[in-house]
This record gives sequence, C-alpha cells and structure tokens, in this order.
Amino acid sequence: MQRDLGSFPFPPGIRVKLISSGFQSAEDLSGVRATELSKELGISKEEALEILQIVRQERPGEESQLSARLPSARKYTALELLEQEHAQGSIITFCSALDEVLGGGVPVGKIVEVCGAPGIGKTQLSIQLVVDAQIPECFGGLGGESVYIDTEGSFIVDRAMDIAAAAVHHCHLIAESNQDEVQREAAQAFSVSGILSRIYYFRCHDYVELLAQAHLLADFLVAHPKVCIVVIDSIAFPFRHNLDDLSLRTRLLNGLAQQLISMANEHNVAVVLTNQMTTRFGQVQSSLVPALGESWGHAATIRLILRWEGKLRFASLYKSPSQKEATVPYQITSLGFRDVQSSELVSPSLNNGDNPRKRPRNDDDGDRE
Amino acid sequence: MDWSHLDLNPKVVAAVRRANIQTMKEILCLSGPDLQRLTKLSSSDVQYLHKTVAATIKSDPVVTALQIYNGECPFPTQKRKLSMGCPVVDSLLGGGIPLMGITEIVGESSAGKTQICMQLSLSVQFPCSYGGQDAGAVYICTEDTFPNKRLQELIAFQSMLRTDVPPDVVNNIKFGNNIFIEHVADVESLNHCISKRLPILLSRGLIRLVVIDSIAALFRCEFGVSDSIAKAKYLQKIGAMLHHLSHQFSSPVICINQIADVVNDSHLAQGNFGLLDKKVLPALGVTWSNQLLMRLMVSRTQLCVEGTFPDNKDCILNSGTVLRRMEIIFAPHLPQSFCNYIICKEGVRGIRKVGL
Repeated sequence: MQRDLGSFPFPPGIRVKLISSGFQSAEDLSGVRATELSKELGISKEEALEILQIVRQERPGEESQLSARLPSARKYTALELLEQEHAQGSIITFCSALDEVLGGGVPVGKIVEVCGAPGIGKTQLSIQLVVDAQIPECFGGLGGESVYIDTEGSFIVDRAMDIAAAAVHHCHLIAESNQDEVQREAAQAFSVSGILSRIYYFRCHDYVELLAQAHLLADFLVAHPKVCIVVIDSIAFPFRHNLDDLSLRTRLLNGLAQQLISMANEHNVAVVLTNQMTTRFGQVQSSLVPALGESWGHAATIRLILRWEGKLRFASLYKSPSQKEATVPYQITSLGFRDVQSSELVSPSLNNGDNPRKRPRNDDDGDRE
Repeated sequence: MDWSHLDLNPKVVAAVRRANIQTMKEILCLSGPDLQRLTKLSSSDVQYLHKTVAATIKSDPVVTALQIYNGECPFPTQKRKLSMGCPVVDSLLGGGIPLMGITEIVGESSAGKTQICMQLSLSVQFPCSYGGQDAGAVYICTEDTFPNKRLQELIAFQSMLRTDVPPDVVNNIKFGNNIFIEHVADVESLNHCISKRLPILLSRGLIRLVVIDSIAALFRCEFGVSDSIAKAKYLQKIGAMLHHLSHQFSSPVICINQIADVVNDSHLAQGNFGLLDKKVLPALGVTWSNQLLMRLMVSRTQLCVEGTFPDNKDCILNSGTVLRRMEIIFAPHLPQSFCNYIICKEGVRGIRKVGL
C-alpha cells in the first residue's frame, strides 16, 4: 500500500508531474478524484482517470477482489456441487418446524422469497434471520455478518435488540447445559451490541436507490467477506408505486433478480426478499396472490407464503427445488419468530382477554434441541 | 444533467450524451448490455459507469444497527415517539406513535377515533421533552366539519390532562393557532392537498403531524365495486406520497379508516387480518394495508365505568361512561395487545388493567 509511484507503469512525463506535485506513494492518491488530479497536474481528465485506475487495480491487499473475479468457467461434477452445498450451511429461523421444511433453514447461495399479508410477520422473520446468521459456529450457526436493506422503514432497532437478546440468551442456555468450554467462550463473546454492530443497514427510499444499492452491493460484499445473508424488506414496496410502466418494472425486476442470483453464488450469501400480497380477481371469487406479477415468481429459488388461518399463523413452502411442499404453524413472540407449542394449537382462543399474548411466560424458551 | 461532476472518463460522458441519456435514473434503469448497445462502450466501461452513478445516488456511508441504536447515524433517531398525552396508552404503544410511517386508526363509528386524533393534534405541540414535536398539525377532514367546540374544550382542559407538564409550559402554547384544518370533499382535492399544501407546511416546520379523518370516506363513495383497480392505484399513489412526506420530515401520518362488515364467510377475507373473533374488517383492502406501518383498532365495549377515576380524584366520571378498547392489530415493534380507555372532558385517558 505504500508502493512508490515510480514503480507503476506511467509515462515519464506523468511521473515527473506526480512527483513535483507531491504524490510519492499509492497512499497519497487514495482519496483523490480524477477531476482534482487533472487540475493539480495540469493533464486531461482522461489521463487522470487512467492513472487512478492503474493505481487502484494494482493495490495489494485486494486478493479477495482477484479471487472473486475468477471466471466461473471451471467445470464442476455433481458430486463436488453436492459437497459444496452441504458445506455451505443454512441459517436457522428458530422455528424448528419451518427449519425442517426448508431442509435445515434458509440456504446460503439461494434466493428465498417470503410473501404475506401485512402484519403476518415478514419483517419479524427478516430480523430474526439477520440475527440468526450471526450465531457462532459451535452452536450450529454460520457466525457471519448481515446486510439489511430497508425500503419501507419498518426496521425498528428496539425490536432487533429484543430478538438479539433472546438469541444470546438461548446460546448461553445451551452452553450451560452442555458444559462445553468452546461453547461457553463463544457464548460470552456473543453479545447484543456485537450482533447489532454486525447488521449493516441500508435505507432505500425508491426503486432508483434500490437499483443503485444493488450495483454497490457486490463491492460491499467483497469488502466484507463475512456477510452471509442479505435481506431486502421489502422488494415489492418501491416497485409498486410511481412505476406505471409495467414492462419497465418487469425488466428492472428481472435484472435485479439476476444480479442477486449472481451475488448469492459468487459471495456465498443467502438472499431473502419479502414481497407483498395483492388481490387477483377470479371468475368466482378473488384470492390473494404474491405481488409483482407472474414473471417475478420465477426469480426466487424458494418461495414461502405466510398467512393467517383464524388466529393462527402458518408458513407454507410453496416452491422449492429440493424440499417437499408443506405447511407449518409458527408464532411471533416477544423473543422473535418461534414454533407454536403443541398445547396451544388445541385452544387458540384468548383467555379472559387479560393478556392476549398467546405464548405463556415460562422458562421453556431454551428447550429447542 | 451535468455529467462532469461524476468521476467519468470524458469519452464515456460523450458517449452517454450522444445516446441521449439525460438522467442518472435512466442509466440505472438500463441493463449492462443495453447500455453497451446504446453507447458503444466496452463492458468494463459500462460497469464502471453503473458503479459511479450508483455511488453518487447512494453516497451515504454504511451504517450498522448499533449506530442506529446509539443515534450516531444520519437517520433521525428512532427513540423519539409522539406521545398520546396519556401514560397508559403510551405504554401500550411503546412510548407513543412512531415518527416515521403511516399509522392507521380503524374502528366503528363513535369509537373515539376523532377524539384520539384531536388529542394527538394537541400533544404534538408540546416540547420534545414532553413527548411532542414542538410544532403544529394539519387536520384534513373528509366527513363532517371539524368539531371546533370540542377542540376548544380539550384545549381548556389540557393542564388537567397533562399533569406531567408544568402549568406555565401548558399555558404558553397557543394550541388553536397551530392546527391547520382542511376540508376536502373528493379524491382530487385530497391529492392536491397532499402534493401541494402539505410539503409547504412541513418544510417550513410549522407542522409535524398529519391527520386524515377519514381516508375511507372518500374512497368508499367515489369508487364503485367495478372500479377496484382505479381505486387501488389512487390509494397506492396517495399512500406513497404520505409515506414519502412522513419519512422526509419525520412527521407521523395518522389515517382514520372505517370498518366493513364481513358479509360472507369468505375464508380469504378473515384470513388476512387474524381478526377471527371480530365480525368486521378494515375497509380499503390489502392495497392500503400494505402501505401502513401500524394499525390500531378502537371499539366500544359493552361495559361502563362509574365512579371516580382511580389516578385523579378530581375527575369524576359521568355515570355510565362507556369503556372503550384500543387494540394493536399489527406493528413491527409491538406485540398484539390492547388497553382500555375512556373519553372524558379533558380527552382520552387509558385505564390500567388492575382490577378489571
């Protein structure tokens, strides 16, 4: 990084100008913009840009950039792919029924779409996943970092704190009951502020900002290689207003989907998108279907639909290349996204309207295997 | 579009101009191969162009959730909320109404929706340390005329309601001067009000609360059953404008919605909202519900409250004051729960669940 500018392949005239203007090493050029450089050196903007590009490309310490640019024309056998898939792991949702249906959790390297009516728990699931992605490896998690792209403004940090605290508590309980030294140390290091500091938050106010963010995301993932999940909550919101040209919308969504798929593959991240529901008018009756149109349905590898049935919430695996379609109940508690305890399935009604929280306050939060 | 202040090679800028691309938005809306075709540039040039434009649009630095929690970031702090003026209701709402986003209050007629909104129009005028925003409110009426007499009564009794605030602070606020009342009779005027008048009032800092009482009235009478698609489009447009203004100026938008009866046992209708034990649904459908941050439902119960108010001996209730209930239907940061409240002369007062 302190590489001397004289060692770069510049023409001698440029080299003289750089040195006489006081630029000695690559570091000196790091924050400089092309327009500024061209003014200082008295060269054309084109030449200034070329100088900067040479310096930036040859800067050491960017090995990850090089490896990410490896052409993927390598041949893989199916066995190698299988082993790779097994090695990649998945991110649990803390609802064991849903994790089983998904085959272990949200898989890394694929796009999962979560659809549902407002209030069903899409944002809750998103926050749960960005917390769960950070669970240390000795507890069965990926120990990674998370990216949260918020288009609606529904990420409330206090809620993220509650969910993170519950996850930390859960890990502590496991470490205690197993009496494992490694686990205990990991549980000590796993803290709420640590979790919050590893959730990278981006706010996009409209679809142009979202498209811009998608272009910048690839470089961000290179600079932060520990990120293992990217959540966009929600992808429907910015594309459903101020966008009357539906063919443009389809084109933009397809392009975005392709970018996300290639990002998921290249950088080994799980991509989770939340979608809204819209009414489709049928012959006899209308039904709720995922928004953004039919062609969007092909973008995600896995599609989960969340819905109400009476007072209970259900998650249905609607589309998956490897898992069977299934429906499981779940609930949202103060601790986050959880299973429904089987005793509660029998009597779903409120008990004398005192405390409508379905889950009784007791200590069996940590008894998940 | 002045391309020269982007870090771009002049030949790229020339190619972009030749292709007649005017805005950064157009660049992002075109895919790599499309741009290549239009500008005849190489793919690495096009990639660099995309990234430069993207970096200019999203130039803010990366923020972590911890920084948001500590308030160390450019986003407005999430800790502040708009207080209702009553500690019981505030604790139900986790401090009050969130400052950014559309909150809906839905319920049957005479459940107290207008009373709640009037109370909020007063509480927003208190200083920030007392849960207000130190600014006024816009009250958009679509149904009846604004209940001015009731407002004057509420203003007169503010010091009785807000015992947490020193009386000289209360008396210094000229409540009536800071509430801007608009009457709109149709969707077009609502559109005009939101797109032209609200931004002016908000940008001057005169108001930090928008109340629409009610949003349902306009849409239910103007659009018939067959106009559902047009209605949905309008709702989306208005919702988007309100959402944008709310976030830009950190001002809550409260929309009052009406309810509709559940006519048939349509599985679909009830399934959406988890309101199985109620025979009613919020009007305006899922298009509108998608725009909301939070939904509160208010209703009258069958019970009445008598006697003195537990916390405040001075407030004697008229016999048979109806007990009402405020329920959180959904919110990203709150569980589904409820509290009871009554409406007395000084306004809305929540009642703790002790002894009920």
